[in-house]
Formats: sequence, C-alpha cells, structure tokens
Amino acid sequence: MAGFLGRAGYFSRETWLNIRRNLTLTVAAILTVAVGVMLVGLGLMARYASANALGRWQGGVQFEIFLEPDVAGGQIDALGEELRNHPDIERIQFVTQDQAFGLLEEMLVDEPELLAEVSVESLPPSYRVVPRIAEGEIIESLAAQFRQRPGVYSVETGRQQVDAIREWFNSFRWIVLLMSIVLAAASALLIFNMIRVAMFARRREIEVMKLVGATNSFIRLPFILEGMLHGLAGGVVGAVAAGALRSHVEELFGRSEILAFFRSFTVTSGQFTTATIATVLMGVIVGALGSAFAAGRFLDV
Amino acid sequence: MIRLDNVTKIYKGETRAVDGVTVNIEKGEFVFLVGESGSGKSTMLRLLTAEEPATEGDVHVAGKDLSRISNWRVPYLRRNIGSVFQDFKLLPQKTVYENVAFALEVIGRPRNIISTQVPAILELVGLSHKQQSFPDELSGGEQQRVSIARAFVNRPLILLADEPTGNLDPNTAQEIMRLLDRINRTGTTVVMATHDQTIVDQMRRRVIALRAGQVVRDEQQGVYA
Ligand SMILES: Nc1ncnc2c1ncn2[C@@H]1O[C@H](COP(=O)(O)OP(=O)(O)OP(=O)(O)O)[C@@H](O)[C@H]1O
Ligand SMILES: [Mg+2]
Repeated sequence: MAGFLGRAGYFSRETWLNIRRNLTLTVAAILTVAVGVMLVGLGLMARYASANALGRWQGGVQFEIFLEPDVAGGQIDALGEELRNHPDIERIQFVTQDQAFGLLEEMLVDEPELLAEVSVESLPPSYRVVPRIAEGEIIESLAAQFRQRPGVYSVETGRQQVDAIREWFNSFRWIVLLMSIVLAAASALLIFNMIRVAMFARRREIEVMKLVGATNSFIRLPFILEGMLHGLAGGVVGAVAAGALRSHVEELFGRSEILAFFRSFTVTSGQFTTATIATVLMGVIVGALGSAFAAGRFLDV
Repeated sequence: MIRLDNVTKIYKGETRAVDGVTVNIEKGEFVFLVGESGSGKSTMLRLLTAEEPATEGDVHVAGKDLSRISNWRVPYLRRNIGSVFQDFKLLPQKTVYENVAFALEVIGRPRNIISTQVPAILELVGLSHKQQSFPDELSGGEQQRVSIARAFVNRPLILLADEPTGNLDPNTAQEIMRLLDRINRTGTTVVMATHDQTIVDQMRRRVIALRAGQVVRDEQQGVYA
C-alpha cells in the first residue's frame, strides 16, 4: 500500500511538472481537442434532436394547402367549409396573404432588398390542416384529395418536409463527422508532439531511469497520463461549450417565430448526458492515443 | 558472473568495436579494462547492460543469456548492475538525496525502504552532510561519490564503471578507488574501464587489455602496460 501511494505520488508529481514545462503547447493542444470534441458532441446532439423531431412528426403533423394568389373569395370559403366538415380532419387554420407576408418579412429581416421584390398580392393564402388521424400514409392520401381542386396551387405535406429535413440533417452529420475526424487527428498529432517535446526535455531523467532498471511502462506512464489529462481537459472544455451552444440554440428556437418549426428539435437530458460523456471520453481517447504513440516511438530499451 | 564467448560487436556494418572476445569474470572479482581510445572498452560495458546487442557470440550476465533475453526483462537485469560514468549523469534539479532516492523510486521500491537505504548509502560514501546539496554545489569527487551511491544503493551484484576517475585529480581519484575497493570487498563484482596508469599499477588487480576490439592481455594482478 505504501509502495502504491509512493508511486501515485511520483506519477502525479511528474505529470504536473511536465504540464507546467510547456504551457503554450499545452493550451494549444487542449483547445484543439476541445473544438474537435465539441463538434462530436454537437453532432451527437443534432442526431438525437433530429431523431426526436422526426419521430414526433411520424405522428401529429399537419399539411398545408396553398391557394392561387388570385383565387376568388367564394372558392376559399367553399374549400374551408369542405375541410371543416371532412370526417378525417380535426381542425384548420386560414393564413391570409397579409399573414403570409408577415411571416416572410420576419424571415427576410436581414435582406430587405429581397423583400422589396415581393408584393403581398403575389403570395398564396393557405389552409393549415391538422388531420384527426396522425399517420403518414393517411395524411398523404388526404393531401392527394385536395391537390386537383380548382384554386389550389399546391399541397405540402409534412412528409416532404420531413424528408428534406432528414436529408439536411444527414449531410450536416457527415460534415460534422468529417470535421471532427480531422480535428481529432490534429489534436492527436499535437499531443504526440507535445509528449515528444516533454520527453526530450527530460531525456537525462529517462536515461538514468533506464540505467537503474525502471521498466518501460513505468517510464512511459507519466507521459501517457499527461496526454490523457490534456485530452480530458480538452474534452471537458468541449463538452461545456457544446452544452452552452445547445441551450443557446434551444432558446433561439423558443423565441423566434420563424424557427418555431425547430421547436421539436430538442434532446432529452438523458441524451444530453450521453453526448457529454461521449464528448469527454473522446477527448481522453485522443489524448491517450497521441501520447501512447509518442511514448512507444521515442522510448525503446 | 560475466561470460563473453567469442563476442563480436560491429557498429553500422563496419566498425568492429569488439572483435572475437572471450572472457570469464567470476563473482567478486575486480577487473580493469585498459586500452587506448577507441579500443572497445565502453562498447564491452554496453554489451553487458544490454544497451547494445552483440553481433556475434554469447554474452552471459548474472546467469542470463543476453542474446535470448526478452525486452521486458532487460530492466530487471539492470537492477543487478550498477553503472558509473566519467560524467556522473546526476540530475541537476535534484538534491543529492533525491538523486539517490530516484534510483529506488523508479524501480518501485517502497518508501520506508528508500528512507532507510538512502541515508545508509550516503553514509557509506561519506556524504551524509551533503544530502540536501545540489550537484552543482559539489566537487567532482563528491559528485562521483553520489553517482556511486546511486549505482550501489540497490546492492547490485555487478558494478560497471566507465572511466570513473577520468575527470578527477589524482587525490580525488584515489578516494574513488578506495570506495570502489570497499564495494568490491562486500562481494560485488567490479569492472572498470580506465586510462589511469597510476591507479591500475597501484591496485594490482586483474587487467584485461584491449586493442582494436581484441583481448591482447589478461593478467591476474596485472599492470597498465
Ligand atoms: N554508437 C556507435 N556507433 C558507431 N560506432 C561506434 C559507436 N560507439 C562506438 N563506436 C566506435 O567503436 C569503437 C570503439 O569505441 P568505444 O567507445 O568502445 O571505445 P573506448 O575504448 O571506450 O574508447 P575511449 O577510451 O575513448 O572511451 C570506436 O571506433 C568508436 O568510434
Ligand atoms: Mg569509452
């Protein structure tokens, strides 16, 4: 027990000394790890969020019937009457041209010149329809019934949107994955180099250790621990950043009417914890890999 | 304790640093390795600690056949061998005490052993009063005594010394030789490479002379030349 404590003391002391010795490299490595794993964390959360949202829409999603912009008032009322009396439809909501323009205005708040091109009269009024039975197939057939009606410009079902969103999220996920792989490699290389510098700085000690018969694993351990510690630090910073970003984005979704659509994109606290743990773990693994490589490469018998 | 059987060491496929050497050293012997610069003394010592592998022939140290020893066993072999060098190889940021303790610490010796062994060995080399000094606060002779203490604190079977008096004045060299002699009298096998004629002639121990990597003389109670 005393021996074990003695060793623990030795390892923690050596590791701390190493870290203090090259602070700038340390900071660089930690930040790179942090950015890399933050992306991993965000990617994971986005994946959960999209799965959650898509899962929800498999059920109670609405579809929207867009009318010709110059449709006659009578036609609008007739269609509304029919929709209201339809046995499969729960409720409807009419969106006037003015309201549509208001939504567009909100969406193009940063691009007034684009907005200037659009007139209220050119926008289609629409009915938002919530069906009684929320199931993809039924919504599709229901939508099909109204597609050919006079005065109807187009019918957009949730499925098309869901598919588009799914695709968008898929490509987003790949981009994030690719970026985090590149950053993970960069951070592993940085840690590799840092450990090499640390070993060079301590070559006299290493020489003496070999001389008196310290085992290779004993000589390597402080360096590998150092790398893992950097990875851990980067992982924690990255996880905190990802968490902060998540609450910021969710708050944005909650506040903005345009982004209201995204309100279904939330992660449960369980999923958040999983993503956080994965993020930190990823950092530790990157650190361990980089330093283990360095220790293996620069310390032979 | 040490046996070389027709051992050859060729560096980079050309330099024959050690050439067909056969030598047998018994437990408790004191052996001088002499020969001009480049004759292969240091190389022979490095073969014994498995720092370098022999190109041909067998090297046996402390009952181990070094051509067959696996890498992970090498550190355990080295725990039976103390090494001392001309340039001491002390760690400048550590005190005398810490330098010696380091040797035990890194082979996983428990604390209570360290705290009794280190003062005892420093007493043996006559440096009890300098425990808290740093190497650059010591004379060359004192530094060499610290390095001998570090080499011997684990009570190895063999002590290898590569020109341990090379940087010291004659009187200090004498002190070091008295110390090595004392260590040898505890039963430790000592092999010392040296250029110091006075010391070799005065000690009258076994002398192995090398020239161009070959043994040209091997005498009990020999002299330098
Ligand atoms: N690592 C090495 N790589 C290549 N050649 C080496 C190496 N070490 C030693 N040599 C060569 O091997 C020969 C023997 O060298 P060694 O160091 O064993 O001599 P030495 O007897 O210890 O000399 P000195 O008295 O100067 O210390 C020399 O020709 C030297 O140049
Ligand atoms: Mg030499």
